[in-house]
Amino acid sequence: MAMRDLVMGGGACVVPGGDGASSSSNPLGGLADSLLGGASKTQERIRELPGLAGPGQSADLGGRPLTYLPGSEFENEFDQRASAQNSQFLQRFGSKFSDAWGDAVNGHMMPPVAHHDREQEAAFRNFEALYPGMDSAGRPPLALDAPPQRVLSGFFQSFLDSSRMDGPFNAVRLPELGLSEADKRRIRDRSSIMGRHFFADKGDEYVNARVNALLQSLDIDNNLKFREPMGGRHPEMEGYWNEVIGARPGGRPLPDQWAEDFHQHHRIPEPGGWAQEFEAQHNGESWGDQFGEHQQQMAARGQFRNGEMNNMAALEQTRSLVNTLAQNQDPKFQNSKFLQFVSKMSRGELIVEDNQVKPGVTNDWANEFQQQHLPPGDQWASEFMGEHQHRGDRWGDEFARRHQEAPSTSDDWVNDFSRLHVQDWADEYAEQVAKNPYGDGSHESWLDSYDKFVGEQMTDLPNRTASSKFVYVFADQNPYVGHPNPLKEGQELFRRGLLSEAVLALEAELLKNPENSEGWRLLGITHAENDDDKQAIASMVRARDADPTNLEVLLALGVGHTNELEQAEALRYLGGWLQNHPQYSKFVQQDVNSLSHSQVTQMVNEAALVAPGDGDVHTVLGVLYNLSREYDRAIQSFQRALELKPRDYSLWNKLGATQANSARSADAIYAYQQALDLKPNYVRAWSNMGIGYANQGRYEESIRYYVRALGMNPKADNVWDYLKISLSSCAARWDMMEACERRELEPLQKEYPL
Amino acid sequence: MAEAGQNFADSSTLKSAALMDMMKGHLTTDEGKRLKEKVGLVYQINVAPKKIGFQEEMFVVDLKNLKVYKGPCDGKPDATFSFVDGDFLSVASGKLNPQMAFIRGKMKIKGSMGAAQKFTPDIFPKPAKL
Repeated sequence: MAMRDLVMGGGACVVPGGDGASSSSNPLGGLADSLLGGASKTQERIRELPGLAGPGQSADLGGRPLTYLPGSEFENEFDQRASAQNSQFLQRFGSKFSDAWGDAVNGHMMPPVAHHDREQEAAFRNFEALYPGMDSAGRPPLALDAPPQRVLSGFFQSFLDSSRMDGPFNAVRLPELGLSEADKRRIRDRSSIMGRHFFADKGDEYVNARVNALLQSLDIDNNLKFREPMGGRHPEMEGYWNEVIGARPGGRPLPDQWAEDFHQHHRIPEPGGWAQEFEAQHNGESWGDQFGEHQQQMAARGQFRNGEMNNMAALEQTRSLVNTLAQNQDPKFQNSKFLQFVSKMSRGELIVEDNQVKPGVTNDWANEFQQQHLPPGDQWASEFMGEHQHRGDRWGDEFARRHQEAPSTSDDWVNDFSRLHVQDWADEYAEQVAKNPYGDGSHESWLDSYDKFVGEQMTDLPNRTASSKFVYVFADQNPYVGHPNPLKEGQELFRRGLLSEAVLALEAELLKNPENSEGWRLLGITHAENDDDKQAIASMVRARDADPTNLEVLLALGVGHTNELEQAEALRYLGGWLQNHPQYSKFVQQDVNSLSHSQVTQMVNEAALVAPGDGDVHTVLGVLYNLSREYDRAIQSFQRALELKPRDYSLWNKLGATQANSARSADAIYAYQQALDLKPNYVRAWSNMGIGYANQGRYEESIRYYVRALGMNPKADNVWDYLKISLSSCAARWDMMEACERRELEPLQKEYPL
Repeated sequence: MAEAGQNFADSSTLKSAALMDMMKGHLTTDEGKRLKEKVGLVYQINVAPKKIGFQEEMFVVDLKNLKVYKGPCDGKPDATFSFVDGDFLSVASGKLNPQMAFIRGKMKIKGSMGAAQKFTPDIFPKPAKL
């Protein structure tokens, strides 16, 4: 307890009802709101229950004398603020849908992945439930009208309070809340993560007892399976493929399927907004160009059909085969049509029987397409434009314009396509492969691209091109959206060590104020401490864009790139740190981007001579020596910095990591322990601890630490990977491997408690 | 301990070079001795910046004599692998398993298949994060 107070500061002992309580009760309202996705529906049901008089008389619920629900007094305010932010919120949804549209366009190469859609459905339902008054002219919804929501938020508040005061928390009989399975799962997942953060200094058993009491009250079975996004990737994918192939007996995708998808996704209230969003999302790269690219791919698809494959069903089959085989690691994969096809492509053996794709050939995709868009001969673009004009959306116009501008494609691309010669197509294909952002110019990279594409679809990580490698990915569902002051809330949560929650609050702030550099910076630090370097770098890049001279941001980017072994970038940022420092910039006389490592190091050393009492200079030196693998010096620098700032937990971790990387894992573990004593929720130090043991060959111990880290942040992908290595190197525990593969933490936590 | 001037990464832009530097230190520990007992083979690893076979840098990870050096190998390696920079790191960090890497053409193998099968991600040290 004492240690927790030190770390969490006053937040741990604030009296409920004071200021501190108000700042933490609002997110709980939000949590309850978002968890109760179906609130408006369950309300109806609850009103019909015997013993429940109806709205406004919730004090009688369940026979408990609940005359006052903690947290409820803030609800009205919360809701009003929320509705004021509707329009912004909507815009965000717009971006989501335009993403989906992009997927749908991609989908003519690979049909859209189902869970995407399902997630959107869920998000949409959630959204509707959150803002029931939205469509009736912004009328603020009545808080009194939602008894289950209030019960739940009050209940969560008491759970939180009991954790603060360290008092007991007993299971309570709550009225029937009508929670859906998905709601229950979400409550369980989030409350167990929160529980682990709260009681990081207590044992697992303690946490489980707490969380179980909470879950029991809500009538949630702790054995619900994880099938949410954090669940395994492949089973879902396979399921989807089976579904798709089963649903279409012929297995043949309709040529206009993507258009239908487009229609489906087009139910957005503000069509103008998403077009901008889409452009913004793609880094200003004109989507028209992208469309052109996709069009070429479409052309390619048509050719596939005439060539090796009889119809797309075969292609789909092989794709599902790839997925299945990818999972089974079955050598049969090598004999699959798909691989043969690709290898034939790569050897240039692909033979297209007909030199021309003539309209009127049966099974001709182009022909089908033309027929779909009667009257034939009509320009597809204008056709499409006509279809969408009544929505007042600029998409059609834009498309038509871009289309005419594009020199390589004529207006009537369908006709053009039908005249297309194989040689042209092959050239185009080769060209496209050469331009392929992650490919290397060889035809084989097609398969790689495909793998990557599928990976992205499943994991939602947009690392398609080098430039978009560091695009920040926001969480799908965020209860803090609509919170009156998410930045303050995020800072508070961060201070108390609730990293995963702080991420959500800060994301809500940044959805509201995308140029808030302080928000991005803190988000970056939070991600780094939560051991998610990709998101950390992405956040810091945004922070740098908003404020290019912030020293902490430059240092953090230097550290992030050092961790990713990206020497040149790291050096550039550390040089930038020196250049932008008000006292030390005088040491930089040249263009900082052209400096070598030794030059930067020398300048920082000069700075250290001038200001030996500045811990930051020593920290920068330590990172620089890490880059050049001069570990002894790096360790000295960090130790010097620690003399100046002995309570900086991130410095202890840096010292430990340096020692671990220089094969001094035993020393490292002491340093990590110091960091964890100062900040028990420091996920990075927990996982580094695991790495330290793994590098010493002490795999069983490493597993325990990895599992501990994952308990606090199940989204740390690299830790899952490391855990897998340790599991396979330890005992042959196939059951545990499977749990790890499916990303199920519970069996692992039971087997490997710390 | 390796000091400036002796690192692979000093004269290379590959991320793999940085990992190989770490590998040198790793093999001096008890874990190195364990790897010698458990694996005891000589691997040559060719790493290309963008495309397998082009501008490759050769590294030799000798688990018989616990050495890491720039290739080509003195004598015949038990197995030779070719990677693109990022893919090698993915394999070494467990993100991509070696069988998958091979099937997808991200890893080319020459030499004994038996030796190749002992090439697992636990050979390499995991970089700790600052």
